[in-house]
Amino acid sequence: MAEYFGVKVEDIFNTMQERFRPEGAQGVDASFGYDITGEGKWKLTVRDEKMTIEQTGDLSGCAVVTVTDGETFVGVNIGKVDGMSAFSSGKFKAEGDLGALGKTAKMFRKFVPLKKEMSIRDYLMDMFGTVASRFKAGAAEGVDVVFAFDLGGEYGGKWSVIIKDKTCRVIDRIEGKPTVKLEFMDAKDYVDFSLGKIDAQSLLAAGRAAVAGEINLALKWAEFFDKYVDPMGSGEKEQELLVLKKTISVEQRYATGPVMGKFLNGLKDKKIIGLKCSGCGKIMLPAVEVCADCRVRASEWVEVGPKGQVRYMEYVYYASPDPLTGETRETPYGMLNILLDGCKGNETFAHLVRRDQIDRIQNGWNEASGTRVRPVWSKNRTGSIHDIEYFEIDE
Amino acid sequence: MAHRKKNRNVGIVGVGQTKYSSHREDVNQPEMIHEAVSLALENAGIGLNDIDCIVHGNMELFEMVFQPDLWHVIGTGAYGKSQYRITTGGTVGATIACAADNLVASGMYDIVMAIGFEKLQEGHTTGGITNMADPLWFRHLQTGALTGTKAYDMIREFGEERANRAAMMYRIIMDKHAGLNPNAHRSFGLEFDQMGDLIKNSPKLVGDLKLIDMCSQSDGACAVIFMSEEKAKQLSMKPVWIRDHVTVHREEIFHLFGYDEKYPITMTHTLAAERLFKRNGIAKPLEYFDVFEMYDPASWWAVDWIRDFFLLKGDEHLRLVENKDIMIDGKMPINPSGGVIGSNPIGATALVRVAEAAMQIRGDAGKHQIPRPVNHALASGFGGTMWTVLMMLEKELNW
Repeated sequence: MAEYFGVKVEDIFNTMQERFRPEGAQGVDASFGYDITGEGKWKLTVRDEKMTIEQTGDLSGCAVVTVTDGETFVGVNIGKVDGMSAFSSGKFKAEGDLGALGKTAKMFRKFVPLKKEMSIRDYLMDMFGTVASRFKAGAAEGVDVVFAFDLGGEYGGKWSVIIKDKTCRVIDRIEGKPTVKLEFMDAKDYVDFSLGKIDAQSLLAAGRAAVAGEINLALKWAEFFDKYVDPMGSGEKEQELLVLKKTISVEQRYATGPVMGKFLNGLKDKKIIGLKCSGCGKIMLPAVEVCADCRVRASEWVEVGPKGQVRYMEYVYYASPDPLTGETRETPYGMLNILLDGCKGNETFAHLVRRDQIDRIQNGWNEASGTRVRPVWSKNRTGSIHDIEYFEIDE
Repeated sequence: MAHRKKNRNVGIVGVGQTKYSSHREDVNQPEMIHEAVSLALENAGIGLNDIDCIVHGNMELFEMVFQPDLWHVIGTGAYGKSQYRITTGGTVGATIACAADNLVASGMYDIVMAIGFEKLQEGHTTGGITNMADPLWFRHLQTGALTGTKAYDMIREFGEERANRAAMMYRIIMDKHAGLNPNAHRSFGLEFDQMGDLIKNSPKLVGDLKLIDMCSQSDGACAVIFMSEEKAKQLSMKPVWIRDHVTVHREEIFHLFGYDEKYPITMTHTLAAERLFKRNGIAKPLEYFDVFEMYDPASWWAVDWIRDFFLLKGDEHLRLVENKDIMIDGKMPINPSGGVIGSNPIGATALVRVAEAAMQIRGDAGKHQIPRPVNHALASGFGGTMWTVLMMLEKELNW
């Protein structure tokens, strides 16, 4: 069926039952016919303050039959077309008892199309207007924070959402120093973000949004508030889209094999031992059984380091949570490629650097030496990467 | 597999892609896959009954659904058919394209559909990538797909100003291309005059790798239908021909970003390109190809890899970017689709490169169609610490 103004003719009829007002139908005992050109015929019967609607070819016995086209019928019902002028121009005809037709107006609540246009400003008013009703007091035990929103652009504005003593209130300004402040260059981006049309990462990446203050708190918004539901919806009664959440935690155990095992056992004795390829002479760290380049099984063990020079440090500002433990490393941190003494070329060894020294590390290149570093051994060594806590500058 | 060893010719006859997005909570995995499958079948003008075999690929650890091909039968349409499942990291989409090509070329199947998909919002992408590293040592050190090494290399080689501007120029070009592609996940509407501002203000992830440089994490699926030459003739179809493809793997290593030039390290991109071009007699790849759909996970890598793939010297690759030769109307258009930086549903990503290359040759890429005839296309895939797949597509059977 065709849509007019985003609404189908059948939407009007299908919602009659829920829009029916028994008090408006007192004393009415009649049938009303609707002949919508190209769409079909419907028959409304009202008796004893109850109604039925059916799509039928037979409109006999109706007190009045409305004859019109789909566009006019929908337009009049949703207020897009002026009923009187449609009637005057003959687009909307009533055959039969005109007085009876007038009664139908009182019998139904107005049809409100689910899809109407909402401006950015309307959305902002609705979003902040519903914050308090979406507040989950149970999740805010002991929480005392202020979320500030600074939304730019033509329709922007400032809001603060204040959570304290398990209550929530919203003010249309920012006062003092909020706990976390979310800035959107354009209020439209905030609306799109809240409606799930654009993700925060993209906005942050493009510099169209910024977060100041306690960033982690910004991520907890969803814990305190129910999701904003777009009143525009999808044109039908909104079905809640369910997302099932799961967390997997698995015990893992990996055999090292004799070669990696020997390397790890070396760490227990504060020794770093690599395997040398009998083909190209490359030292592999940590030790692996085969030189992938030469396809040769390596068998010559050599002790190297434990001191060396940094060839390259990965300066990490952003750390992802470890998926197995949920822990996130403190940032910034540095991951090193170290050329241990006794190694050459690109035979580097990877480990972490002491966090408070990351800004003092110099990378090396070809003949130029990088910062000299030494391992800091753990007290309790079990034969794992953690036997070395980190490398520190050798001074 | 060199093309000369191919038993018979194979071409692409249908392409289907979903919109790439970070918000596909409206559908589950098989439903999303089915969107791409339906579109590909419609595009080819055939039905599911015509498909002999399905090749299915993604990364199980990203969604944490083991053997998703079981659940997905509902969406893939593999019921009662042969189905192969492939996982090779970032290259998975390219590998399933290679597999589909091989399966048809072998003569075992006449019509094979390759389906790549990912729903990255349903799991933990970096978690998945971290768990690809060996659990004995490197899992504890690596940072998912994020690395500042290429930025460091380029800055060392070309200076901070020039390197940064080239990487950001590439990034903005991709953003402009993505703006032309209705399926692209991200297009910010970036302009070239924002370059300085973005270099300065985009948050840093690792070293000089900034948030703006990095690819997105997308949901989406892509399906591509491969057909034998005989079958295509029978059905009066004009496929886009797969001339050749090459794969180069190597072991996972983290010191491959070598810092001593006297000890060169095998780079899989260069090796793959050399092999492919040599056996196809292509002396000047930059002149030969009309489009390159490159797997570009970040703008720094992308700029550097232009040199690797086209076997360029010195700063030729930088000049291609700086002169905007890689733009859709330039000399060597790269990723008119907006590339991986624009959309990255990982298991589908490398297949999207092949699909987009095929669309360019067919001339039906819509708003992001290159405004010149496209006869020869190159598509790449990248995964692991350093694996490479390259595929060559042709308008005519010219070999």
